[in-house]
Amino acid sequence: MTCQEIDQRLDDFVDGALPAAAAAEVEAHLRTCALCQERERRLRQVIAHAAALPRSVSPPRDLWPEIARRVAPGRSWSWFPGRVRPVALAAAATVVVGLAAALWHGPAPARVRTVEIPAASPRTALVSATTPVSDPVLAEAEKDYEAAANALLEALQQRRARLRPETFDAVVANLEVIDRALAEVRQALVKDPQNPELTRMLVSTHRKKVDVLTRVVKLSMAL
Amino acid sequence: MGGLAGTVLGGTLIQMRDDEDRRAAEMRLVRAAQNGDLAAFERLYRENERKVFALCLRLSSDAALAEELTQEVFVRAWRKLGSFRGESAFSTWLYPLTVNVALSERRSRRRRDARIVPTDDPASLERAPLAPRPEAGFDLERAMAALPPGARTVFVLHDVEGRTHDEIAALLDLAPGTSKAQLFRARRLLREALGS
Repeated sequence: MTCQEIDQRLDDFVDGALPAAAAAEVEAHLRTCALCQERERRLRQVIAHAAALPRSVSPPRDLWPEIARRVAPGRSWSWFPGRVRPVALAAAATVVVGLAAALWHGPAPARVRTVEIPAASPRTALVSATTPVSDPVLAEAEKDYEAAANALLEALQQRRARLRPETFDAVVANLEVIDRALAEVRQALVKDPQNPELTRMLVSTHRKKVDVLTRVVKLSMAL
Repeated sequence: MGGLAGTVLGGTLIQMRDDEDRRAAEMRLVRAAQNGDLAAFERLYRENERKVFALCLRLSSDAALAEELTQEVFVRAWRKLGSFRGESAFSTWLYPLTVNVALSERRSRRRRDARIVPTDDPASLERAPLAPRPEAGFDLERAMAALPPGARTVFVLHDVEGRTHDEIAALLDLAPGTSKAQLFRARRLLREALGS
């Protein structure tokens, strides 16, 4: 049996799914082939790593209040794929603004539309909303998300010296990608303002941006 | 009956009685929740949230999305609760729902995910490069996140969650042979990641 043939059977061999005769052939090959022994060793290591992973992981925050709000009597909406509930949207944005303010350690953040981070890199301007959405509740929530993001950006600016330049550049590059996605979704919403999927994508992308910023600001504070 | 056999049998019987008591208590909570008792449903949530979140986290490879998915799972569970008849544990009933929610969301987000690849863990960029012994620092969670989605799903369900190929095939509506092929692919990629 060749090493390639052994490699094809290695998974079944390790899982104990090979018939006895075939397993004996694999075993015989393994006794004499260092390459296949190494492949077997790595495969068993991957499987052992996976089996040792915890099957329970605590969410980083309490998810129940949002669930309770959504299942409360009289509610029949879903976060996705249906329409986004305005109250939940506003509440989520408020929480994000509060979080940003807490990390910022400054006065309540003003609704800054654009923030620039002075950097050695030419990629400095972080684009903000240019195309307003027509839904007034969504537009208001967007403003709150942008205020939170801008507050976090300012906090990041103050602490950027604590981060490695590669970290900072990677974060800025990712924020630029997110901002481009936000602009695209917003443009699509102008053409199709009632599209629930686009609404959800817009909110989710805002949350992603704030999440990235929150993580990097927390990291800079911990260093 | 005495001696070791009696001790083992006695322990087994106690365990069985404990399991029955737990199932009965769980069923009381389910019935209360089916009648609109949100506090009872919260207890069911508290008992299952960590398993659901872990599965969502590994299927999505995105902590923020996993939170949304976990919430969606329990919102849908609440709505479908009337169909739960207690023929299995609540967690067993919740499992296919969790997989379905995570994979439905992935399908609907696929196009956007191709464009947005945020730095979910900026801290990883701050860590010093791995020492020359890569296996000592092998981060399986990170390597799993880099797998193609289909291969990652099967790897998580089979090697992390301990499901069989037949169970995975039923969950994902595919042939058991496809499940095996995806697992083979995932393990091969992880083997390579382990050795790189």
